[in-house]
Amino acid sequence: MKNVRVSLRRGLIAAVSLVSLAAATPAIVVWAADTAPAADEPTSVRLSPSQFRQTIADVFGTGIVISGRFEPEVREQGLLAVGARKASITDMGLERYDELARNIAAQVVDERNRVTLIPCKPKSATAADDACARTFLASAGKLLYRRSLNDGELAALVKVAGDSANGLKDFYAGVGTSVANMLVSPNFLFRYKFVEADADNAGKFRLDSFSKAQALSYLLWNSTPDAMLIDAAESGKLHTKAGLQFQVDRMLSSPRVEGGIRAFFSDMLGFSDFEVLSKDPMFFPRYTIRVKEESQEQTLRTIVDHIVKRQGDYRDLFTTPNTFLTRALASLYAVPLVETTDNGQPMRWIPYTYPEGDPRAGILAHASFVALHSPAGRTSPTGRGKALRENILCQAVPAPPGNVDFSAVEQASRELSTARERLAAHATQPMCAGCHKITDPMGLALENFDSSGGYRTTENGAQIDTNVEVSGVKISGAAGLAKAIHGDPAAVSCVAKRIFAFGAGRLPLATDVEWNRIEKAFASSKYNVLSLMREIALSDLFYRPQNIQLASASGK
Amino acid sequence: MDLKIDRRQVLRGMMAGSAVTVGLPILDCQLNANGDAFAATGARIPPRFGTWFWGLGLNEGEWQPKQTGTNYELSRQLVALKRHQKKMVLFSGGQVFLDGAANNTHFTGVQGLMTGKVTGSAEYFGSIDTLVADVVGNGTRFRSIDVSCDGDPKACWSARKDSGKQPAEVSPIALYTRIFGPEYQDPNAADFKPDPGVMVRRSALSAVSEERASLMGKLGAADKAKLDSYFTSLRALEQKLEIQLQKPEPLQACTKPSKPKEDEQLSTLATVAMERHDVFAGLIAHALACGQTRVFNLSITQGMSGLRKEGEPSSHHTYTHEEPIDSTAGYQIKCDWFSMLYMQGLANFVTILDSIQEGDRTMLDRMMMFAFTDHGAPRLHSLRNYPIMLFGSVDGRMKTGMHIASPGDAVTRVGLTVQQVMGVSVSAWGVGSNRVTNPYSEVFA
Amino acid sequence: MRIEALRNMVRRAPLARALALGAIAALPISVIGAPAKAETRGYMISWFATATKIDDFKANCPEDRNGGGLKVDIRDLMEIGLTEEQAIAHINNTARDADGTNYGKQIRTRARVKGEPASIYNYPDATKDPNIETSAGKYAYGFNLDGKSKDSDFIDPDTGERVDNQMWRAVGCSESYRAVPPAMPYPEELSWNLMIDTMPAWAVSLTADDFSKDGPVKIVLDRALQHLERDATGGVMWNGTFVIDPSPRSHNELEGYMKDGVITIKPKDISLEAEHPFYAEMDIKNAHMRFKLQPDGKLVAYWGGYFDWLKYAYMYTSRPANGADTIGLYHAMKKMADAAPDPKTGQNTMISITFRMEAVPAFHANMDGKVVAKAVDPGQNGPVSFTK
Repeated sequence: MKNVRVSLRRGLIAAVSLVSLAAATPAIVVWAADTAPAADEPTSVRLSPSQFRQTIADVFGTGIVISGRFEPEVREQGLLAVGARKASITDMGLERYDELARNIAAQVVDERNRVTLIPCKPKSATAADDACARTFLASAGKLLYRRSLNDGELAALVKVAGDSANGLKDFYAGVGTSVANMLVSPNFLFRYKFVEADADNAGKFRLDSFSKAQALSYLLWNSTPDAMLIDAAESGKLHTKAGLQFQVDRMLSSPRVEGGIRAFFSDMLGFSDFEVLSKDPMFFPRYTIRVKEESQEQTLRTIVDHIVKRQGDYRDLFTTPNTFLTRALASLYAVPLVETTDNGQPMRWIPYTYPEGDPRAGILAHASFVALHSPAGRTSPTGRGKALRENILCQAVPAPPGNVDFSAVEQASRELSTARERLAAHATQPMCAGCHKITDPMGLALENFDSSGGYRTTENGAQIDTNVEVSGVKISGAAGLAKAIHGDPAAVSCVAKRIFAFGAGRLPLATDVEWNRIEKAFASSKYNVLSLMREIALSDLFYRPQNIQLASASGK
Repeated sequence: MDLKIDRRQVLRGMMAGSAVTVGLPILDCQLNANGDAFAATGARIPPRFGTWFWGLGLNEGEWQPKQTGTNYELSRQLVALKRHQKKMVLFSGGQVFLDGAANNTHFTGVQGLMTGKVTGSAEYFGSIDTLVADVVGNGTRFRSIDVSCDGDPKACWSARKDSGKQPAEVSPIALYTRIFGPEYQDPNAADFKPDPGVMVRRSALSAVSEERASLMGKLGAADKAKLDSYFTSLRALEQKLEIQLQKPEPLQACTKPSKPKEDEQLSTLATVAMERHDVFAGLIAHALACGQTRVFNLSITQGMSGLRKEGEPSSHHTYTHEEPIDSTAGYQIKCDWFSMLYMQGLANFVTILDSIQEGDRTMLDRMMMFAFTDHGAPRLHSLRNYPIMLFGSVDGRMKTGMHIASPGDAVTRVGLTVQQVMGVSVSAWGVGSNRVTNPYSEVFA
Repeated sequence: MRIEALRNMVRRAPLARALALGAIAALPISVIGAPAKAETRGYMISWFATATKIDDFKANCPEDRNGGGLKVDIRDLMEIGLTEEQAIAHINNTARDADGTNYGKQIRTRARVKGEPASIYNYPDATKDPNIETSAGKYAYGFNLDGKSKDSDFIDPDTGERVDNQMWRAVGCSESYRAVPPAMPYPEELSWNLMIDTMPAWAVSLTADDFSKDGPVKIVLDRALQHLERDATGGVMWNGTFVIDPSPRSHNELEGYMKDGVITIKPKDISLEAEHPFYAEMDIKNAHMRFKLQPDGKLVAYWGGYFDWLKYAYMYTSRPANGADTIGLYHAMKKMADAAPDPKTGQNTMISITFRMEAVPAFHANMDGKVVAKAVDPGQNGPVSFTK
């Protein structure tokens, strides 16, 4: 009862703010000024590798092995999810998608999987059976294209399946050919936002319900809408407040939300860069391939545990002493992790809590941060500071100027022990000092972590000094930095903006009234990320059409 | 439209097991740009083109020869190229103009050099190799082969006008499988039987291209452009399959390479990257000789190279900034080590190309390889005085053996020259101060 | 004095725990009630093999007649009746692998039991002694085990003492023992590397008031429940956490004293379980040890004492393809054995020997999850925490 009232009130606020917006200015103008990119900005987004994987797993099961590489992603405004809007598909990219598609399709129809995935038996296994093919392709296509296929599309797929089945004398191979076709189709590889006239508000436009459904499911689940959500879109329920709210709450209570959280934070924390990260084993013998993989998982587990399971305050991620470790990670961090199972048991994740005041608490001290933003042989406080500013606080760090004359630095950098000394020499250049002031102090506070994430107090025999001053505030070491980030309003505003952009493909405008309301709601929820996602998913702002030109040309 | 249906009928007929030599209707893509010859007839081997990128240039004062023209002595950092001097054109002095845009180091220079356009953004479209590929690259299985030696798929500098940077292949095993794996048709094999699976796939993909119209109608201009780019890629894929269905023309120089050994673990050691480079070079040379592609792009690293020398904690890039100029040697010694290593790699690659005999000439003589870098004086991350080399004479179309110095000129002049030699119909190239209309005509044969 | 204090503490610990975990596990590190200063450092043995001393091969093995694998093959072929020329010709014409030759089976079954061919590995005593050259050298690592000074003694290069190490006499001229750390003698290296990824590892802990000063140090040897982990170079991972096997079978408490950075123990019999084909167990009678803490945090030690030579030889006889002259070594050890004569035959059953070990810093915990020894790694000197 209480919940209902709260929801009602939320609905009311949303409605009111909508009204006030509409009253002040014609909606189209608001959109254009607010969030709509220039008219020639694309609104479609390329499916990311993780979305591709998650979608295949959700549609065809986790037993399907996806091996192969994807086209590299492009980061924009701090997120690959935003860069995906600009991304098209290159020759080689499509060649790879085709390989993936054929490989996945072959697994879907192989003897192991066809029984569970294909709901009918063909009249003959060696010839076309249009009826059976149609049944299967319609249901798989609905999940892959995120909407029901139209008659023409379905007919084309059935025809391809039939022609191929007859040509290859194999019904399943024929169906597989159509599955592969869907998996390389632009209808699958790109997610589109189509705009339609708003039936409830004459003269206004809205996303069509399928576009809405997929925006929602890729925000919350990083995956394709399930059948229930597509049905809600099909029936028009998703356009009603109650219908939307029902779906959002249903989705937020699904275990799939963990996939959404993982995908978002992998993106925000820049984990795609792990693909090209390596450390010199001679300097960092404990940074094994396993440690590299497990360090990402450590952070994602910590985040899921904190955000989904504990429903904790986002800010506490920077200070939380709770994490999960494997034996190999514990060796890297040089902390004791007691595993009392017998010798030879499979590796386990074991919860671990740092004692109070331990500088290794919080996700910034994880190897997934300090090692990811360090070169192979030694640390870069500049790199770490830049990553912190850009990835965690959404602050822009200017690119280094071109044509810098470093000759002034050379003499000084000859035999310096610590990174602080080297950078201090660097900062004697006024043109460098400005930017390094922004990045370096934060990075220097993390200097107790070597390039691999191990903890140290000396570098080349010299004591490491992690006392720094950031914007006039004195900070000591990683624990001090974690506290400072915890208290920095930029951190919460950053994650909120990025979650919105992760789903919407664009940043919200800081001055938008509705956005300000969402931010306030985030604050009053004690920075509960799931409740922020709920606010976003229920907000009209998230579904506002961006490309108004389309509106007139569109419509059902 | 009719054509497409006919093709599918033909393919279906083939699938039913009829004769192997069924002719396919001629598609535009099987003709060369002038439309005057079949690309795959083998009557004349079409010219080929490659780019070779290394990061962080060469040390100031250590590479530029004192003399210009044909009688010049290679400077210290280029001695590895001594045996190829007669088949090389060396350019010095060229620069990229910023026209007020920010210099995004390690990127902007290449943006100007490879696309003729400095934008001040991360935009990167239409690199020289793709302009050349539009002319010479049709009719082969792969429009281009793009590799990077340091494990970074983003290190490639090739981008079509419409689709952004191509991902680079980083694994020699994967490249081998892609080119010489099960789908490879040996051009010199006596018998030829098209793969029914490929026929089915080729035929099925036309159904995907038919989705174009329905989608296009619903999209705005920018999304349309993106979709167009997708369909360009789809055509390339279809073409690749089509080529696999045709009996290839015999190629005398073609042999299948042996399978490379398992990939090394990801490493930031320059020596490991250069070992991979040599393996890639061999595979690419075989791919060229076997007519699988006519264009390739190889990058050692991204411009901001993270490669290291064994035992050194810092990368080449860090050393360009931090290493003092040695007072006796007069240059950065550690940086020099990397540059020398890369030039040796370049020489190895050229040697491989020059060792493959195709009729009365070597493969190198019938092609052009364009070697470039991201910065002039790397210590200063400068956009001036770029070292650039062209190798090969494109079947006698280009004169070689000279050093051309043109201090202060737009480096895009090299790009324009390259395009004209390779047969791109272009009289002016570049934007703003980087726009040029005067190629280095002294190299035209 | 400190040892006494430790004993008192153990006495105060609950009986069940003391029995189950061994006394040291009950010693809290930073728990209230314990002597505030006591510090326990944990290590895992990361390298273990017969100690070698090979820098003067000419003086040690003046005849130089043992040779390597090729010579062993020639000798084996001559044992079954070939001339040296025939043996060489045969080897040149065929694969050197004994299994690849026509004579492989003859070589392997040249033992004679009641006149019938039998496996030389099962019946080494029934196989002719090839009489390999043994070490005539002056230096070898070890300890004066019997308190006597004898002609057969070596001189320990570190301590200058006259020491017993008959095992080195036996194996010192064998090619597979010409190894300097980090290399191990070949058969040991082979079986060590085969086993450490699966075999529960050996633990060492040191407890002292102050490691920077001379004084008593308590040493405990144990077996852990887990095997060692490898690092990115293939070496042993530092700073792992190992739970100590509560079984008393491999639990050894030793009294030591540190002087000038070297810890020497009061001699004692020790026993550690291991797994074949590495040593099935490490039972050393009258064990003498000296440990040294290296500045990089590693612990290096020599362990000397008497070892059952048959068990040592079993490493060879049970694994013929170990690259060593199995039968030659067997007989050399048998002849050199210098302790514990069999009352019936008079044949010595034990041999004086010295092992060398290295151990890397590691955390030790007990079955209750309590951390009982900390990893002290000067390179990774983060605050050490003892929460679960």
